[in-house]
Amino acid sequence: MVNLAAMVWRRLLRKRWVLALVFGLSLVYFLTSTFKQEERAVRDRNLLQVQDHDQPILWKVQFNLGNSSRPSNQCRNSIQGKLLITDELGYVCERKDLLVNGCCDVSVPSTKQHCCDGCLSNGCCSAYEHCVSCCLQPSKQLLLERFLSRAAVAFQNLFMAVEDHFELCLAKCRTSSQSVQHENTYRDPVAKYCYGESPPELFPA
Amino acid sequence: MKLVNIWLLLLVVLLCGKKHLGDRLEKRSFEKAPCPGCSHLTLKVEFSSTVVEYADPVVPCNETRWSQKWQSSRPLRRASLSLGSGFWHATGRHSSRRLLRAIPRQVAQTLQADVLWQMGYTGANVRVAVFDTGLSEKHPHFKNVKERTNWTNERTLDDGLGHGTFVAGVIASMRECQGFAPDAELHIFRVFTNNQVSYTSWFLDAFNYAILKKIDVLNLSIGGPDFMDHPFVDKVWELTANNVIMVSAIGNDGPLYGTLNNPADQMDVIGVGGIDFEDNIARFSSRGMTTWELPGGYGRVKPDIVTYGAGVRGSGMKGGCRALSGTSVASPVVAGAVTLLVSTVQKRELVNPASMKQALIASARRLPGVNMFEQGHGKLDLLRAYQILNSYKPQASLSPSYIDLTECPYMWPYCSQPIYYGGMPTIVNVTILNGMGVTGRIVDKPEWQPYLPQNGDNIEVAFSYSSVLWPWSGYLAISISVTKKAASWEGIAQGHVMITVASPAEAESKNGAEQTSTVKLPIKVKIIPAPPRSKRILWDQYHNLRYPPGYFPRDNLRMKNDPLDWNGDHIHTNFRDMYQHLRSMGYFVEVLGSPFTCFDANQYGTLLMVDSEEEYFPEEVAKLRRDVDNGLSLIIFSDWYNTSVMRKVKFYDENTRQWWMPDTGGANIPALNELLSVWNMAFSDGLYEGDFTLASHDMYYASGCSIAKFPEDGVVITQTFKDQGLEVLKQETAVVENVPILGLYQIPAEGGGRIVLYGDSNCLDDSHRQKDCFWLLDALLQYTSYGVTPPSLSHSGHRQRPPSGAGLATPERMEGNHLHRYSKVLEARLGGPEPRALPACPHLSWAKPQPLNETAPSNLWKHQKLLSIDLDKVVLPNFRSNRPQVRPLSPGESGAWDIPGGIMPGRYNQEVGQTIPVFAFLGAMVVLAFFVVQINKAKSRPKRRKPRVKRPQLMQQVHPPKTPSV
Repeated sequence: MVNLAAMVWRRLLRKRWVLALVFGLSLVYFLTSTFKQEERAVRDRNLLQVQDHDQPILWKVQFNLGNSSRPSNQCRNSIQGKLLITDELGYVCERKDLLVNGCCDVSVPSTKQHCCDGCLSNGCCSAYEHCVSCCLQPSKQLLLERFLSRAAVAFQNLFMAVEDHFELCLAKCRTSSQSVQHENTYRDPVAKYCYGESPPELFPA
Repeated sequence: MKLVNIWLLLLVVLLCGKKHLGDRLEKRSFEKAPCPGCSHLTLKVEFSSTVVEYADPVVPCNETRWSQKWQSSRPLRRASLSLGSGFWHATGRHSSRRLLRAIPRQVAQTLQADVLWQMGYTGANVRVAVFDTGLSEKHPHFKNVKERTNWTNERTLDDGLGHGTFVAGVIASMRECQGFAPDAELHIFRVFTNNQVSYTSWFLDAFNYAILKKIDVLNLSIGGPDFMDHPFVDKVWELTANNVIMVSAIGNDGPLYGTLNNPADQMDVIGVGGIDFEDNIARFSSRGMTTWELPGGYGRVKPDIVTYGAGVRGSGMKGGCRALSGTSVASPVVAGAVTLLVSTVQKRELVNPASMKQALIASARRLPGVNMFEQGHGKLDLLRAYQILNSYKPQASLSPSYIDLTECPYMWPYCSQPIYYGGMPTIVNVTILNGMGVTGRIVDKPEWQPYLPQNGDNIEVAFSYSSVLWPWSGYLAISISVTKKAASWEGIAQGHVMITVASPAEAESKNGAEQTSTVKLPIKVKIIPAPPRSKRILWDQYHNLRYPPGYFPRDNLRMKNDPLDWNGDHIHTNFRDMYQHLRSMGYFVEVLGSPFTCFDANQYGTLLMVDSEEEYFPEEVAKLRRDVDNGLSLIIFSDWYNTSVMRKVKFYDENTRQWWMPDTGGANIPALNELLSVWNMAFSDGLYEGDFTLASHDMYYASGCSIAKFPEDGVVITQTFKDQGLEVLKQETAVVENVPILGLYQIPAEGGGRIVLYGDSNCLDDSHRQKDCFWLLDALLQYTSYGVTPPSLSHSGHRQRPPSGAGLATPERMEGNHLHRYSKVLEARLGGPEPRALPACPHLSWAKPQPLNETAPSNLWKHQKLLSIDLDKVVLPNFRSNRPQVRPLSPGESGAWDIPGGIMPGRYNQEVGQTIPVFAFLGAMVVLAFFVVQINKAKSRPKRRKPRVKRPQLMQQVHPPKTPSV
């Protein structure tokens, strides 16, 4: 075996063309991998800068006019609330005033429709439920359509999956990457739920 | 030859180009070490939190020494929780013996998931989300990947690390290493880049999408210490409020206590710890308690449950199986089990984050000899959870479900110290889980019903609790104290607390009627007569601050990979060993969670202040001075504070994308010096480090300060140390002699107390401690409690004249520090931070007892944990009884035990990928070297011979000689 190895070494590996071949292959591999990496690096760097202004996202939101199109007298609602809840008709009520069918009890005086309490002029509210209710105003439709057509790439996943006005308001009012500064603090710790286009005002530290 | 030269040049150019490219990348993302010599540091990091680069002197890159940087963003604060290489074998407490026995096992079968599979449940119609590093598209193990989404800034959906694939595999793999729920709908959320970078904002957007998609179960094998990241914490609450069952890994920072990671430490999340296949708590698994409630309150019990997390097999990145360890692994085991359990329930509307958690903890099997801050409620029992869940009625329950302060070791630390009259009230932080609705409330008030035959009237109980239980949970803190009439009584007292929880009516119930659920919480305590003053030590918790939210640097500057002081600095977290030691020496330790104005100094022998970062109210300074004059003794273990060093240890935090400057040093020495000034004492801004011997004990001084000023008639001990400040700032080494580190002083007035100062707290702290100094604490307590000056110290050869303070600088507060943001004492004013008004001392209003003539069962643990659960009603197929616990290895599988590609467990394939170009490059270099040698040879030969040499070679090229075949 040793002899063989020595023979191979002497006869084959010491040939310049063999060495040149090995070297050439290594070089080609090296070059390709280098260029591949460079290409990726460039792409990554650009990723944050480039915004696809030309391609508005293909949203499928149906803004239904009136509530006649709803199949039954069941309501979807905002589910999560600690004290308040908003149904898909835009009524805000206390949790105890929620009916079995998921709608707010409109006979209770504290129940309000399209309520914008605690919402600022920039479209940011201090309560999630009020944000959703306010966002469900028919007059907000234009604003929402404009937002959808310009939505950032980061929101494509979310807003392409939204199907109607109510879902859009539920999703839009949630705190998101737009709501934070330095990642771990709210831009505005009070009015942080926004149906509008702009992020919350930066709260002075 | 020319050609060769050109190639050589080309190669050099290319190399330079590549290097520049690398530099550019580094500057952009802080991902790599800035010098080639240090690169091995980054390779080792894996999923560890930070890298604070502190190159050893051997490494030739001086300019990077002491400069701190976050390795990458999310990893520090919210890292993926699988373990890097090296930890996979350190599972049990006797790891070296058990290493060979701890064969990776099929975790789903070990937990008897196959029983449920045979009943036809496989996770169908359950949407489970995996938030991790992604998954490749055509992975052979998965049949129902519904959607993959990417939330990072890398344009790929594939997993480049293997972490996400593994986690998804444990949940839903259908072949080789089987997961729990192969038919579940998998939603893959890629929120970590291949460099383990992630940001809160990515999570927020991804979580919103998960809510929209109505995810049922969400696994987060990630975690970090920042429970003050409000946007993140709020979002996790929002998810649970939207009925998403969150399962998260408790952290890999064990065996240290106080190391729970967020979000697993949240009440609404199922926090999972790790055990090995022999039911030992894994060394890496983070331990409780939660530290949110400090200093005034007491931490919650976490983790919730434990399950297999060491040497578990799961899917490899491209197929095949591999074994991994970490709570990252334990979390998907529970997430998979939960997914499978959800699919077994007929009435899906009964499943919610609370009911699932109730079922898991009520069915968990308690491990013997392990306390609740390590195991939570015990080990996951899938089949019992199935039985409980399938006979579940909406109700409230408590965690822990009883309070037996005498039960050891489960109820550690409560069982380690009996209660007595005059002591600080013992606080138990109970979590209320409310399976009836996302929101609820406590009706009226909790009721305290002492058992008269069992001396229940000897204790008093006070409550504080969440006004609204949301989402699905809330807290009930119970403070227990001894009544005056039992001041000299010894015995056991029992009773129970009744609470009623109400939630708005759900769709099913009669219209309008609130649902209610009443829970009984038995209480059992041991009372002893109050110990003498000299035996009682008060631990100052109020003046200990920690990360989060501020940057409070680590007390030992050599510990670069963990720059933050984040374990709570409590006697039951990172000062646990010290507490155990003091208990074993017969001392009673109580915790002061309020200002110095709020305790009766006549009760205590010694006030122990270790590593204090907080400021002091002027009233506190005055009160403490009076107390010491009246016989209270003071032991202060300080730490370093040097503004130049503080500026040096600032770092760029990629998480928050801003520079972080420490708000104090290891301790707040300027504040301490103000407190001590009346006694003519002060610490210096020096920074010293070194080994030494004191009273024949080996000691290590880890980044401590010295005493700058001490009264003439005191005893001062000095040592010789390295000047670490100089080393940090200028990379120079200097030895300083006669550094005063320990001072003992007796107040001269009649009945006055004693004061002891020591310049370093690291020898008491469990985190990064090298040599403990509990013996020194004993000696110092002998001195403070009984006035006995330990001869070993007073006659030590190291005793010197006390320093007068001349010549040594005492530190000033660093300009522009933000301590006031996190301080309970300071507030921002126009002319700079100033003390607030002294807050009122906490006042407990004792619940009115409603005595009962009842007796409690002797074993409280066995009492019913959930109401109206009839386990026999839910029958399991009878093949359960005599099937083996662990399935033997089938012949076809044997190869699958090995990790494909020869990669070590816990390592990632990516590393191998990176080495290929290196090998190629090395190969090219060897060939190049050969050519150079050849050229040199050729040059040295006479020119005329060259053609003759070359020609035959060329000929041979065309007609290669035959080599004999063997």
